[in-house]
Amino acid sequence: MNASPFHRALWLAAGIAGVFCLLVCATMVYEHFAAGTNDPWKSPQLLALKDKLAAEPRSQPLQTQIRQLDQSMRRRVRLRLALDKSGAWLLLGGALALVLAAGTAAALQKTPPMPQPKTDAGEQSQKLAARARRSLAGVAAAVAGTLLAVGLVNTSVLPANQAAWQKLLAKAGAPETPAGEAPDEPAPALADLQNNWPRFRGWDGSGAATQTNFGTNLAWRSAIPAPGHNSPIVWGDRVFISGGTEARREVFCYNVTNGALLWQRAVENVPGSPPKVAQPPPVDTTWAASTLATDGRRVYAIFGNGDLGALNFDGAVVWTKYLGPLKNSYGYAASLAMWANSLLVQLDAGDTPDEESKLISLQGASGRLLWERSRPVSASWATPIVVEAAGRTQIITLSKPLVIAYAPADGAELWRSDMLGNEVVPSPVLAGGLVVLFNPGDKLLALRADGAGDVTNKCIVWSNEENVPDIPSPAARGDLLFTVTSMGMVKCFEAVDGKKNWETNLDMEVKASPGIAGDRLVVLSADGLLVMLRAGRALEEFGRIQLEDKFTASPAFAGGRMFLRGATNLFCLGPVGAPPAKQP
Amino acid sequence: MLRRLKFSGALAVMLLLAWVVCAEQRFPPPDFETAYRLPATSTPAARQLWRQYADAGVFLAALAAAVWLIYKKRSRRGLFWLSLFSLAYFGFFRRGCICAIGAPQNIAYALFDPEYTVPVTALIFCFAPLVVALFAGRAFCAAVCPQGALQDFMLIKPVTVPAWLEQALSVVPYVFLGAGLIYAGTGTGFVICRYDPFVPFFRLSGGIFILTLGAAFLLAGMFVGRPYCRFLCPYGGLLRVASLASKWRVRVTPDVCTQCRLCEQSCPFGAMREPAPAETGARELGAARRRLGWLLALLPVLVAAGAWAGSKLSPAAAQLHPGVALAERYIRQQTAPVQYGLMTPEALSLQRAAGDPAAILKAASDLRRRFDLACWLFGGWIGLVIGLKLVSLSVLASRTDYEPDRGACLGCARCFTACPNERVRLGWMPAAEKPAPL
Repeated sequence: MNASPFHRALWLAAGIAGVFCLLVCATMVYEHFAAGTNDPWKSPQLLALKDKLAAEPRSQPLQTQIRQLDQSMRRRVRLRLALDKSGAWLLLGGALALVLAAGTAAALQKTPPMPQPKTDAGEQSQKLAARARRSLAGVAAAVAGTLLAVGLVNTSVLPANQAAWQKLLAKAGAPETPAGEAPDEPAPALADLQNNWPRFRGWDGSGAATQTNFGTNLAWRSAIPAPGHNSPIVWGDRVFISGGTEARREVFCYNVTNGALLWQRAVENVPGSPPKVAQPPPVDTTWAASTLATDGRRVYAIFGNGDLGALNFDGAVVWTKYLGPLKNSYGYAASLAMWANSLLVQLDAGDTPDEESKLISLQGASGRLLWERSRPVSASWATPIVVEAAGRTQIITLSKPLVIAYAPADGAELWRSDMLGNEVVPSPVLAGGLVVLFNPGDKLLALRADGAGDVTNKCIVWSNEENVPDIPSPAARGDLLFTVTSMGMVKCFEAVDGKKNWETNLDMEVKASPGIAGDRLVVLSADGLLVMLRAGRALEEFGRIQLEDKFTASPAFAGGRMFLRGATNLFCLGPVGAPPAKQP
Repeated sequence: MLRRLKFSGALAVMLLLAWVVCAEQRFPPPDFETAYRLPATSTPAARQLWRQYADAGVFLAALAAAVWLIYKKRSRRGLFWLSLFSLAYFGFFRRGCICAIGAPQNIAYALFDPEYTVPVTALIFCFAPLVVALFAGRAFCAAVCPQGALQDFMLIKPVTVPAWLEQALSVVPYVFLGAGLIYAGTGTGFVICRYDPFVPFFRLSGGIFILTLGAAFLLAGMFVGRPYCRFLCPYGGLLRVASLASKWRVRVTPDVCTQCRLCEQSCPFGAMREPAPAETGARELGAARRRLGWLLALLPVLVAAGAWAGSKLSPAAAQLHPGVALAERYIRQQTAPVQYGLMTPEALSLQRAAGDPAAILKAASDLRRRFDLACWLFGGWIGLVIGLKLVSLSVLASRTDYEPDRGACLGCARCFTACPNERVRLGWMPAAEKPAPL
């Protein structure tokens, strides 16, 4: 058959398009395989260098080498991706031309059909159906065989039956109860919480001890192995603090009677915690600014890199969790709080309320997340308190610009008030049934806690604008409220109506929050001068004690003893040989 | 020459897909030690609502146009241009999403996940072609489906697939449909979309496996008419069933069938059916009835056997779920630790699992229970499909002319212009040349 010039032109076009496509494809495939080693995920050279850097984190030449190699790989990969994109369009055009030309040429070459009449079509149809049934049976057998083969060649290492699942879940510590319900452990008794000092500023965060007799003799002093601003917590015969550096963060346990260091345990190898922190806390803040918390079974500690750990009273790590990175320009310093068996962590972050601030509740026994609430606030340094107010249990949190109250069982927001214009360091207290807090540098505020929803401008009972503290938190007992400024101005207020009972200027730098032990208000200066005033409506000074250390941590009171953490030593004031606090 | 060109064309198409592998690479984040803050990972914003409704409007209009072109205009040329439009709009412009083929998975997912709400557009894309099929057959397949249009475009030299093989393989789409629905219902993923071999073309992006699969389908599609539509497409399976009850059906000839068999020759999809025997003997009729009875009795047995076989699949099938896979990896890591690279997905997922292993294992346990039930249903579904297909192959037909199978006909209109009566009607040939009816 003689082909027409058009027909020949179509074949020629198809051939040219085919060759073009092959050339483009060959180039792209070659480029793909040749550039395979530029993948930063997989490059053995880069991975080896990173492993080496993990062992020598301060090696500048190694860091430079990694940076250069990484940048070079990225540049090459980006170039190849650009080439791929161009090649794809060229290939698409070539393929289109090929298919059009070849399809048209094939259609022109097609011979018209000349089918013959089929007189036995009906019989053929029946034979066809029979054959189709047999082939369908074959397909069915193949499908069934495939299902069984895949099922029988089972590579799963997970349990095959419910009993084995139950066993595995029990071993892993999976709760039998749904998330949010109380775990099996009984919650610590109120009396135990009150007799000990389980968190920052005591069981309710007021800074006041329920016991009345406290000695003031120096019972012992013990060296602290690592720096930290966190305050001591006490349970039974043990007092806990934490400390740390960039390389190692630890919890320290001392005997309350003689100050012996019983154990020290590092919180390390936390899953997900990067070996190097991108934004380490400022030196002044330290890696261990947050005070620990305990429920009498375990002690919980959080550090400036976001590592959170639970240790039992023998120092064994029960669980760890990485909550970082903690985006806080001055370093994370909010302390831990407890409610029943759950651990509360206020993780406020960033310079604006748009960042990812949140409040989380973890099961103390396992670290399992019970609930999490996002918070439209910026970073803060105040510690939440859990109090009974207005007939309900509330978690009170402070952070610019909001005061928010949550229900501890499920994290439901109870009320909020938009009133904080400055960065918040002091923690709130409950005094006279009111939530008392500082908007630092602006006002001392007393709020009703019986609202619901947004109570901005509706909840303030009284306020005071004179000498508003910016670092120390207030202390409260009953209807009396005591405030101390960083310059040593001490005031006593009636919590119910804000009436000032007295004030005195101690004229000393104060960073620690005041505490109330028995009938004494304890004010501790940064230079170690401990001033004891009467915690009553009349001003009276009981005495002063000078301690040789620098102090930023707040005092803890338990078992007739006062525990003071200095920069280098832990001090205990009290009767020598006094019995430890009641144990659960 | 033609063969060489076809080969090089197929090769070109396969290699066209190969480049996309590169586009799938992802970078690890640079190890910044400065104050630079990595931007938060974000997902693309949802398509604007009015655009979604516009897509649905275009979709409905295309369906209506396809019905009009098949039944009123009987225009192959019109359907060709409509399918090109669909390929350009729903394929390359909308990048194959949303498409009707994957939409049933949205429905299955919504049924078992109360937190997921099916978008209205997904409902339209899922049900509109089915509703149309109840009245007018597979108009969607004719010219609205971009996957079908792409395969149609690639068809150069169609060969006939043996009818017995075509019948046997026609159950495969239902197996795929069942698998797609159980994986969607268990929240594993939309496997019908994931293994759609043509979407990588539309998106110019895809993994090596799916690219190879797409290339294979396109290569086969040069000789076998629409292989994916006929032997794998799960939505085609649904449309096939709906079309069996269609009110209108494609009729090849506008007049009397001359049984010239030109229409049979013209159909590249094996959808044309021969006339049934004029008379069936009593003996054959009795045998056919007995066979039908046995097969009907066998139907529940096949369902039960399928359910049993499906139940054996559960542990393996569940491993595709990311939650179960993570639990598997975590358990393996406890017994035989593997050193994964720093910051690799495997290492990061293991860190996540180690943070709260109890929660990971509890979730895996719950998922495995769901898969147990789903695999029972899946196996039973396969048994039911095979049983019903056997029954349908044992029912005696009553055709007197060559006519398209209602379920298998894709409504491409190729057979119209092959019919001498249609050519006479169109004035393409004189009536005198028309063959006389047999």
